[in-house]
Amino acid sequence: MTIALHQLRRRGADRFYPVLSALVALLMWELLARVFAQTYLIAGPVEISRYLWDHAGLVARAAGITTFAAAIGFVLGNAVAIALAVAAVLLPSLARLISALALVVFCLPLVATGPILRVIWGPGLGPQITLAALAVYYTTFLPLMVGLRAAPPSWFDLVRSYGRGRFSALVEVRAMASLPYLFAGLQIAAPAAFLGAMFGEFTGAERGMGVLTIRAMRSLDVAGTWALASTAAAISMLAYAGLGRLSRALNNGPPPLILAPVLEGERRARWRALLHPILVTLILLAIWWLSMEAANLSPFFAKRPADVWAFLITAPEAAAHRATLGAALLETLVLALPGYLLGLALGLGLAIVLVLAPKLARGVMPVAIALRAIPIVITAPLIVVALGRGPAGTITIVALMIFFPSLVACYQGLARTPRQVLDLFDSYAASPLRRMASAQFPAMLPAFFAAARMAVPAAILAATTAEWLATGRGIGGLMALTASTSGYKMLWSAVVVLAAVAVAGYVVVAQIERAVLRIYGAEQLTR
Amino acid sequence: MQANAPPPIQCRDLSRSFGHAGARVDALEPVELHFAAGETTAIVGPSGCGKSTLLRLIAGLDTPSTGSVRIGGETPLQMRQRAALSVAFQDAALLPWRTVRGNIALARKLARLPPDPASVDRLIALVGLAGFEDRRPADLSGGMRQRAAIARCLISDPRVLLLDEPFGAVDELTRARLNHELPALWQGRGVTTLLVTHSVSEAVMLSDRVIVLSPRPARVVADIAIDLARPRATGAEADALIANVTEALAQSAPPRPQPA
Ligand SMILES: Nc1ncnc2c1ncn2[C@@H]1O[C@H](COP(=O)(O)OP(=O)(O)OP(=O)(O)O)[C@@H](O)[C@H]1O
Ligand SMILES: [Mg+2]
Repeated sequence: MTIALHQLRRRGADRFYPVLSALVALLMWELLARVFAQTYLIAGPVEISRYLWDHAGLVARAAGITTFAAAIGFVLGNAVAIALAVAAVLLPSLARLISALALVVFCLPLVATGPILRVIWGPGLGPQITLAALAVYYTTFLPLMVGLRAAPPSWFDLVRSYGRGRFSALVEVRAMASLPYLFAGLQIAAPAAFLGAMFGEFTGAERGMGVLTIRAMRSLDVAGTWALASTAAAISMLAYAGLGRLSRALNNGPPPLILAPVLEGERRARWRALLHPILVTLILLAIWWLSMEAANLSPFFAKRPADVWAFLITAPEAAAHRATLGAALLETLVLALPGYLLGLALGLGLAIVLVLAPKLARGVMPVAIALRAIPIVITAPLIVVALGRGPAGTITIVALMIFFPSLVACYQGLARTPRQVLDLFDSYAASPLRRMASAQFPAMLPAFFAAARMAVPAAILAATTAEWLATGRGIGGLMALTASTSGYKMLWSAVVVLAAVAVAGYVVVAQIERAVLRIYGAEQLTR
Repeated sequence: MQANAPPPIQCRDLSRSFGHAGARVDALEPVELHFAAGETTAIVGPSGCGKSTLLRLIAGLDTPSTGSVRIGGETPLQMRQRAALSVAFQDAALLPWRTVRGNIALARKLARLPPDPASVDRLIALVGLAGFEDRRPADLSGGMRQRAAIARCLISDPRVLLLDEPFGAVDELTRARLNHELPALWQGRGVTTLLVTHSVSEAVMLSDRVIVLSPRPARVVADIAIDLARPRATGAEADALIANVTEALAQSAPPRPQPA
């Protein structure tokens, strides 16, 4: 009886803490808005509600259209992700190739892809849907690849012991074993689809949340900008929560911790290690060229690999092109890198604090998980409106973009420390700090690095978005300029260079990860 | 060879090493082993000596470094493809999203046999899991899971049974009862059985022959015939054999210097 009462109180508290912290956050937001009303351009909850009340019809219609495009993109992107992951598992010799191609496409800078898609698709929903699909497929592909291989070896031995092959293993073992992973991926994909659809609307759509956001920002309508971003965030959080519910209804057990695999590969002969990237590059170029030719797209806006090569390497003014592009890229990286490191460090730091102070965590974590669902980039206009066009605004956007996923990943990683190991430390009455340093921190490293890898393209996306929409500097600004003046050679070259930089950054982080994990326990190396 | 007769198992020059030069682990030294048709052979040896490795090689789930396995003239793969072989895995390997009934029925599906719900339920009762048909593995104890795994092995009516510590997580009392009841399930049907176990008394009570393996890399250090009448009961004769096997086990593991 007392136990039941206690449990009831406990459950009440678990519900109460998040609600309380959400209320506190709203209150602080309103306060900030009022206090800094003159210095920074912040709209508080009250002002936002008033705006939404006055413009209910307009915002609802826009939200409807964007959600529609996002939903179609979500379905298409995830269908491709599932097909790719299944193909990679059924044809293991192609797995590396498929993963590498998927990564490169993930590293395409969404901002610049938008205008290119716009000229290819023309008016309508085409670019929104394509960008939504592009934004989601990787966040589903990666966990699914992990999930499809997550079953213990004896389950596969069981299938093989009756003389059955890969297909039976897929149907009887992998499909079900990967479901929790699939849902974890879909859950993150839902807000990403909304983000992708909004991006598609930034570049010449007629209607939708993206269009309203650009308009509000350009006319310095502070209440409007904040209200639209809040609406987008609310829709994203709803989709995230809804999928979470569905996932919990279908799978019992806690959601899995996704450790995105490092580009997998055993030790290979050196020539093969070299050959592989070259092969992937060649295949990508072939796909690029073939798809342009097959769709019979005008060479004026649909540049081929040879055009980019000529523009950057063989044309008479190639050196000048390279100089322009290089300078812009440098300007962007100088802001993206500090933001990246800051976001990772803050996420890691707060995760450690929260694990050491579990009471605090009970209030903060649900809010942090909810905030992770907000596609931070759509708040880029707000932050620029609030902090101005200097470096601080861009760095903040990048850091914020990375902070929430890193916090959640590190926190879950810290919580993953095996119970027996913790018991061992407790039995020696080790201090919480010592336990953190010797047991929990090493156990968290794979989760941290997985987040750090995924954050590389995210950082570039955030920086270029801020530049494109607001500051007009760096490579994002350059792309915005060339898109509006139809400088498609420069635009395509910028896309290629940015994707290459993102892939390179991802690979560098993966190398650091390998080196660190080799020291901290090879058994933690995710394949 | 008749399709329904139990086949003999022949291992020629069979060995297995893991890893590559530099970090090589020899799990099994080349062995010659012959298991007679219809016999039950127990395999005992210290932990980590290579017993599971041997079983996996015989099932064809792993590729030998040298040598070959023939089961009644067929390869392990051929045996598996006609579902004439069943393995009970050390960790039970029940699929967590299937019920006990579903897990056992899955074996018939994988073996391309028609569904047979009546036999499934009969076997569940035989292994003492009546009432748990619709539970999932997470609701079962370790020993109950292993019993479900044994029922799954038997549902496809195999000619070769490979059991990897099938009673490892079962308490002494239940183990004694299972030792008493279960062998009747397959010994009547003409099955060649290999049973890996840590319990010397279990090995003696269940088998026609006990093979004692050395610490890794496994070699055969003793091969003891068990000529006891069935049904078996503890007694002086059994105790003598148990002592025999125990001594072989102890001698197989001299404190060897570990290679660096
Ligand atoms: N896939 C593998 N890769 C590398 N080494 C392996 C592999 N499988 C087994 N080994 C090694 O081979 C040796 C024998 O393992 P095996 O599982 O056959 O032992 P076992 O006798 O079944 O032990 P136990 O009684 O504990 O189950 C061990 O030293 C193990 O580390
Ligand atoms: Mg074993």
